[in-house]
Amino acid sequence: MDSKKVNKKDIGKLLSQWSKEFTVFVPSKENGVAMMAGWDGTDTSFLDWYRNTVIPPKEHFLPPMEEMFRFQKDKGSYQLEQPASDGQKQLIFAIRPCDANALAILDMTFKDAYEDPYYLSRRKNKLLVGLGCINPYDSCFCTSLGSSPSDVANVDLMLTDIGDEFLIEGITDAGKELIARTSGLEETTEADDARAKEVKEASYHKVTRRIDTGDIGSKLLSCFEDEDYWGKVAAKCISCGICTLLCPTCYCFDISDELVKQQGTRFRCWDSCAFPIYTKMPMENPREEKWRRVRQKVCHKYEFYPMNFGVIACTGCGRCIRLCPVNWDISQTLNSLPAKT
Amino acid sequence: MAITDISHRKRFLAQGNVYLPHIVVIEKIIEETSGVRTFHINFKDDKLREEFTFESGQFGEYSVFGVGEAPFCISSSPTRRDHFEFAIQQVGKVTNALHRLGVGAEIGFRGPYGNGFPLDLLEGKNLVFVGGGIGLAPLRSLIWNVLDNRDKYQRIDIIYGARSPSDLCFRYDLDAWDKDKAVNMVITVDKGDESWSGRVGLVPHVLEQVAPAADNAVAIVCGPPIMIRFTFPVLVKLGFTPEQMLTTLEKRMKCGIGKCGRCNIGNLYVCRDGPVFTYAQINSFISSEY
Amino acid sequence: MKDMEQKLRNEAKTLLEQGQVDYMVGFEPGSLKFTTTPLITRDKNDVERLVINPFMANNLANFLTELKGRIGIVAKGCDSRSIASLIQDNKVAREDVVILGIPCPGIIDLSKVEKLIGKDRDELEDIIREGDKVVITAGGKRSEFPVNEVLFDNCLGCELPTPQEYDILLGEPASPVIDRSASQASIEQLKGITPQQRWDFWKDEFSRCIRCYACRNVCPACFCQRCFVEETEPQWLMPVPRWQDNLMFQVIRNIHVAGRCTDCGECERVCPVNIPLRSLTKEMYDIVSELFHFKAGMDKDAAPLMTHYEQEEAEDCIR
Repeated sequence: MDSKKVNKKDIGKLLSQWSKEFTVFVPSKENGVAMMAGWDGTDTSFLDWYRNTVIPPKEHFLPPMEEMFRFQKDKGSYQLEQPASDGQKQLIFAIRPCDANALAILDMTFKDAYEDPYYLSRRKNKLLVGLGCINPYDSCFCTSLGSSPSDVANVDLMLTDIGDEFLIEGITDAGKELIARTSGLEETTEADDARAKEVKEASYHKVTRRIDTGDIGSKLLSCFEDEDYWGKVAAKCISCGICTLLCPTCYCFDISDELVKQQGTRFRCWDSCAFPIYTKMPMENPREEKWRRVRQKVCHKYEFYPMNFGVIACTGCGRCIRLCPVNWDISQTLNSLPAKT
Repeated sequence: MAITDISHRKRFLAQGNVYLPHIVVIEKIIEETSGVRTFHINFKDDKLREEFTFESGQFGEYSVFGVGEAPFCISSSPTRRDHFEFAIQQVGKVTNALHRLGVGAEIGFRGPYGNGFPLDLLEGKNLVFVGGGIGLAPLRSLIWNVLDNRDKYQRIDIIYGARSPSDLCFRYDLDAWDKDKAVNMVITVDKGDESWSGRVGLVPHVLEQVAPAADNAVAIVCGPPIMIRFTFPVLVKLGFTPEQMLTTLEKRMKCGIGKCGRCNIGNLYVCRDGPVFTYAQINSFISSEY
Repeated sequence: MKDMEQKLRNEAKTLLEQGQVDYMVGFEPGSLKFTTTPLITRDKNDVERLVINPFMANNLANFLTELKGRIGIVAKGCDSRSIASLIQDNKVAREDVVILGIPCPGIIDLSKVEKLIGKDRDELEDIIREGDKVVITAGGKRSEFPVNEVLFDNCLGCELPTPQEYDILLGEPASPVIDRSASQASIEQLKGITPQQRWDFWKDEFSRCIRCYACRNVCPACFCQRCFVEETEPQWLMPVPRWQDNLMFQVIRNIHVAGRCTDCGECERVCPVNIPLRSLTKEMYDIVSELFHFKAGMDKDAAPLMTHYEQEEAEDCIR
């Protein structure tokens, strides 16, 4: 593990260096709302407050809205124009393991069968610099999903907070190459490496919320038709989209057109299975009732996605629990599924 | 049920982007009934016009630019490729916009998507087509496909009905199939009128009366959900096994390629793993939401 | 508050046992610290979970338009106004609700606490209300603040702490902590800047909106089966989260709930991207009060604002 380290006071210098090659995104606050936004070139105060963002980094790969293409109407004839490919290299600094793992989960859908050009081109041009968590929220439960606050599975580089410094590990080839061409990094001592190991182990145990995911797919299958149970589970849900829109592994989207005079755009934007009209057809709506929509959300993540791709579509980031207006808690639901009949 | 492998399906991408529609031109419009129209369309691009092919049962995503995009099955047969067709009922924003278009208008087309009817399952068998209303549209693609390769199939029964005589779609097909000696065409309406001298009766009831033999047969059913729900038990009564019954399902769709999430039934996406399913598959669906 | 809690549990149990209500709707402890969550139950054994504490932010009247049957509902002053407003709108029949009124001394806004202490909610040990003070324990250290520094803005301008419309009142009428200028501060601040500055301000704020519709769904006054944003013919607004569409959604929503908004503050509390929605809703509330001398939910028998006309009404709003 030939790792390096950088003093926290020198993060600004590090980011400046990287800014020459990449557009750097760092945790930022807009009216108190944490999100990954373009670095302004000087401010590193996020080191004081950053735990995790409200808006997940998925917004840089699957934005809340994007133009799919434009069209020009010319006397009943149409010319279609694709948006210019961004092509710019970007670096997301301090992404948490749960959010990085979420991107790997999204990849499975967007690569499957027909490749999604918009998502995949954004994915290609980004470097992920992970930051291990030392202060998980009480809503976090990544450790129940085969991950941990120091999981390096889907980042290019990993930073570990060892006090006054960050330990830096290169994980992928791209990450190792970046470290190789970054100046101002120090070699780590044995004490540093030991400290990092200590920090990683300690942070694992700081995650207190747990879900029993053993056999969860078949547990959900066996209670699928239990309208009574799901009715109780769904009772306090208000069908807003917060849990799904701000979930790093949710990806449902809507497509809509706009035409103003002779020019128009086809947009793709975030959508949610929680919305009543999500599945509405002219003559019927299979999910008119709220309990069906709540059931769909839980089962899609913990039963259907694993059936299709072999992985639970949840990374335990806890945003859904933290931000739900009525404190609907998926961990409570999953931990109290009726026993298999 | 693991996710279906669809890597073998033919793709016709515009500029390498699966979401970018091709431009197609409306060549002919047929008013089937007061709210249902058939559109004959063709690609503007010559090369694509030559190369484009599809399977019966597959669908496309049709765009009225500026209004939106919606999924409709391709109602013509892949054996007749001088143009292709789709049929729609006026029920919402996109269909209303399509109904306002005339011959020569340009719309968008993406496809073909979906799994199509499994012809290898049908070859050498007696085929029983059961259709209702505009549900004949996907069946019609398969029927002409079969009739254009008549010697590959055995007996053909077509049982088709609509709410009233004025709701019967594809009358030109019904006439042709009626005249075809190698086809048993049975037409019915739920409710007749003064001019109607044919059969009156709901499709499932008429099916029971016609009582096609289940031996070496496959039934292909398409129509309003309520018709399908009452037809399957009749077929079971006649001795059809769940593997001998096919249908094509409908859901609200946007992307058509299994990504936007909304058309799922359990872990399957109707646009990607369907829309054609056997009754056996439907019975093994995790979810009753279809 | 403890004896109110016990009284509540006893009453709730009786109501369910005797079949006087089909559902009991109240607050139970949430799965996060300093949080309550709605409890909606038909089971009399669940009433032991009911609580009354300084964190009961939810407006439970929201569930009345969804639940069928007779509902026993726990209501703070503002919630009881929402219930009365729904009765005025004929969405709920008075005889179908049994209102258990809670005299409310104000609800604690966790985001204000977090700002004061500089720590997140889950990093605090305790938050205790002691009369007109609040004691916050964090990192072993105790800090005391005047309670009006941590109550929700709308609580600081509370016009009805104790329900007027109730079947059972669970405690002695409460005296609210009033700090009207603090409560109106954000609205006044916006009135004091130029229209261009205001426009830029809202353009900025609504650029963050992700169209989650939590503000609409948490609002008791928003009970339309099909909201105008969901219409496709005509398409009033694009479902796309552009600031223009987002702003228009909120403006139209405000107009739709005018005269039925009781300033419960839920819309602002639930917004995940901190858009100061109350700066819009409270201004509409004040306009309605000024022009029509009308406040939603103060009198369940009064005609709703928009279906009623008085000869003496101000006409300068008609231009």
